[in-house]
Amino acid sequence: MTSGSRREFLKAGGLVLTGLGVAPLFGTRLLGSPEPKLIEMRSDALGSRVWFDPIGLYVPPGTTVRWLARENVHTTTAYHPKNDHHALRIPDGAAPWDSGFLVKPGATFDVTLTVPGVYDYYCAPHEAAGMVGRIVVGKASGMKARPFDYWVGRPGTDDWRHVPDAARAAFPSVERILAERLVHPRGEQK
Amino acid sequence: MKRLALATLVTALGVGILSVPDIAAAQRESPLPTASRMHPDSSTAPLQEPPGGKYKKVSTLVPLPDFIPGLGTLYVDPATLPAGPFLAYDHQGHLVSSIYMIPLKDMNAQKAFNGLKIAHATADHVDIVYNAGHPGVAEPHYHIVVWYVSAQRAAQLAK
Repeated sequence: MTSGSRREFLKAGGLVLTGLGVAPLFGTRLLGSPEPKLIEMRSDALGSRVWFDPIGLYVPPGTTVRWLARENVHTTTAYHPKNDHHALRIPDGAAPWDSGFLVKPGATFDVTLTVPGVYDYYCAPHEAAGMVGRIVVGKASGMKARPFDYWVGRPGTDDWRHVPDAARAAFPSVERILAERLVHPRGEQK
Repeated sequence: MKRLALATLVTALGVGILSVPDIAAAQRESPLPTASRMHPDSSTAPLQEPPGGKYKKVSTLVPLPDFIPGLGTLYVDPATLPAGPFLAYDHQGHLVSSIYMIPLKDMNAQKAFNGLKIAHATADHVDIVYNAGHPGVAEPHYHIVVWYVSAQRAAQLAK
């Protein structure tokens, strides 16, 4: 998985390819690269309602996902013990990400997801309010989200944090994501 | 993480002292309050930004914009977090409101917030608004906004 700016990622690849004398190939690849899958980070004017849109997304492995801050201040942060001791809710072997606060409207953060599985993430200042999202990568069927408290009692998990109730209620099911490929949050304008 | 450490730090500092000017009296006499019209109890807090004293600009404490649409430029004594008050100033640097931020979990726990400081002013109106959270108060809470200006002037803070 690669996180950070997609432009920087492509730029780095371009420099390597240019050094190898295959710049024309790079140009072709760049033009043919699919656009990142966009997830908007939203809020009403009062900051009373906040949400990711879409809240559920299916993508094939290798897809770059781009989070875009529309209003308010948000983060996109993977459920992972390295992120404030949150429970592990991304696939084993997948690297966690944390955008940090995206303060200015229009700010973006990109992550390329390569390991198949279910990725749950949250917005740090809004997790308790239920601002979370789920991405399913890879297989078209047979995948399941981890139960919320699967880790309780396991060695090394004493400092893990439980997923807040509002967040638990907000996640779309994996089955729905696989069926619809793109799930908008309830009650929001598309 | 940095923001968790910061939030813990500012929340753990204890309770401070607030001194807020008599803005209402100043507004009755002039649309642009001056230092000479400050309340006699307020020897150091100016009517205009920055308030000075123990107050710090919120955007220097946590990752928030300098000017928050709908509220203004906020200052707070970190020792008073999360309740505040936060002092809000308009684009011209005039004090427009005091904001108290009360977490829902504290309300549900029936926690009391006694002795919160107020401005020496007549409030124009009060808004009580749910907020889903933001850096500094990263949990659902209510903003209790005591406005010292009209709703019309408050609306001008939208941008």
